[in-house]
Amino acid sequence: MIDEAIERENYPTLTDAGRDVLQRLREHPAAPAYRNQSGNRLLAADLPGLREFERETLAASVGWPAGRQPDWLPAFVQEVFSDVPWYRALGPPPQRFEDVPAIGRGDLAADIARFVPDSLPLDRLINFRTTGTTGQPLLIASHPVVAARYLALHKRALRRFGVELTHGRGQVGVVLLGHQRECFTYVSVTPLMDESGLAKINLHPDDWRNLDDRARYLDAMAPEVFAGDPISFAELLELPLTTRPKALICVSMALSTGLRALLEARFGCPVLDVYSLNEVGPVGVYDPAAGGHVLLQPRLYVEVLDAEGRALAPGQRGEIAVTGGFNFCLPLLRYRTGDFGALAHRADAPVIVGLAGRQPIRFRTRGGQWLNNIDVSHALRELPFSRYSVHQQADGSLVLRVPPGERAHAAAAVAALKALLGDPPVTAESLTGDGKCIQYTSDLAGAAA
Amino acid sequence: MTMDRIGPPIESLTHRLLDTPPDFLDEPRIGHSGQVYATAVVNDLLLRHGSRADAAALARFRSNDARADRNRLLLVSVTAWLLADDWFVTAALPQDALLRVLDEAVAELAAATPADRFVKDPDRREELARVVLARLGHRPEGETLAQATDRLSGISGTERRRLIEASRAAEQRARAIREALAKKAAEESADKWTRE
Repeated sequence: MIDEAIERENYPTLTDAGRDVLQRLREHPAAPAYRNQSGNRLLAADLPGLREFERETLAASVGWPAGRQPDWLPAFVQEVFSDVPWYRALGPPPQRFEDVPAIGRGDLAADIARFVPDSLPLDRLINFRTTGTTGQPLLIASHPVVAARYLALHKRALRRFGVELTHGRGQVGVVLLGHQRECFTYVSVTPLMDESGLAKINLHPDDWRNLDDRARYLDAMAPEVFAGDPISFAELLELPLTTRPKALICVSMALSTGLRALLEARFGCPVLDVYSLNEVGPVGVYDPAAGGHVLLQPRLYVEVLDAEGRALAPGQRGEIAVTGGFNFCLPLLRYRTGDFGALAHRADAPVIVGLAGRQPIRFRTRGGQWLNNIDVSHALRELPFSRYSVHQQADGSLVLRVPPGERAHAAAAVAALKALLGDPPVTAESLTGDGKCIQYTSDLAGAAA
Repeated sequence: MTMDRIGPPIESLTHRLLDTPPDFLDEPRIGHSGQVYATAVVNDLLLRHGSRADAAALARFRSNDARADRNRLLLVSVTAWLLADDWFVTAALPQDALLRVLDEAVAELAAATPADRFVKDPDRREELARVVLARLGHRPEGETLAQATDRLSGISGTERRRLIEASRAAEQRARAIREALAKKAAEESADKWTRE
């Protein structure tokens, strides 16, 4: 039993059926140690609006005509310049959207409070903390309703791959997987799915009484969806699971084609690679047929900017910037994500092609030619690494780092790098630490693309 | 600030501000965006006044920082339009006085009021006209020194008090937001089906 006050705060709409699911998730004989308390924090009055958001999100078209901007954009810019202190200080809204100054993570980190609209009541404000790939910590202003809206975007992404979620009362909807030494773990229910269960667990051995319990527990809970990142999914592959989820949703880090293929073969279901940011939620889902990440949000305008903040034409690579989104606590205009790619317009929605985190790094071939890190990604994409890093030293030699458990594929990766870069010396080492890593680095002058 | 000399009727200046051509509120050039080069606007104004500024004098009207300078440079354009009025041109005003108005007075006014309000709002039009005249040592025609001083402090004072109150309220709210965010432990927030 948990404290009634905590229960009321974390699950204000909890019924006996939901309570039973929570109890099963927590008290199963093979359950892990749940270390934390959290919940959906949704009020009954939130639910009709959330259902309407889901209906609209699933029905709406996404995107804008090539060479134009979305119809909702001018009114949104006016509203932000009127209601958000940081923008109000800039003066009147520009007549052309292109003249809105782009902002970045550093602007939010300097004082997030200046980006929260004046009209927003603060009593239910929550935060999500993120460090991103730059390590720069940032608190993102959010709200329980904003967090709950993620589900509608996931449903839109899943529908693209023919998956409709059905788990409801008495079942487990999703298990969020981590695999790290310290991980926030808890159980909850999803009111919009008739209180299906939600568990955030850590596959790291320290969280389990017995290592075999991991498979026993996950088989017993039989979630409809597993959510995680390449590291936790690589660990999931090692477990003798018999449960068959309807889908895996991968966020946070680049998912290699090789690991995706292994996961799809192992679980017999679609593996969704979702590009998602704490700042704006799920942005796009990778669809090989579309050649990139297909945009998901009806009211999110995506641009690709050059270093000076100028919008680039479709097909040109640059930094991805976003405007709009569903987080009403943090309405953003031309927010530079720190991620890179190119835009393409497909029949049903715009697509981000060649998505890559961080500023591109160039690698020099032995012949002196510069290659983009995208080429390195392509060369290694069939190998099922959960993550890896490649560093080019000042003498042109390379250091490949892969997780110790994935060293079996290191020889193939070394061969691929040698073939790509004209046979430079390549050393394979173990990648230590259990979190995100900076994937591409170089000591060479001129490597910053 | 002395206002010993007689200027034009205040209405002629507020009417001129009301008639500001829309081009003067086009986007100021900052970094690589915007079309209106404030340096060129100021330079043209000084030429109209029969003087020429060197590059150093115009440096203040160049910027790469939209957050710090966008509203100020917008108001520089509007004020330049006002100062291009025939009365100012025939008044043979010294260049350094004109530049001081465009620099210091404009920066003070732009600090908290969107530049377009000095065109669209009657009180702000009057404020800009009175401040510019006063900084150049003039008072509106038909007003005694006491009347001009009283009206300037009235219209500016009311606005300054409003801005101070707004600024205090904004700071209180920012503090409340920071406290509300800090109150929630890092991840004890709310369910998302995926975590970035």
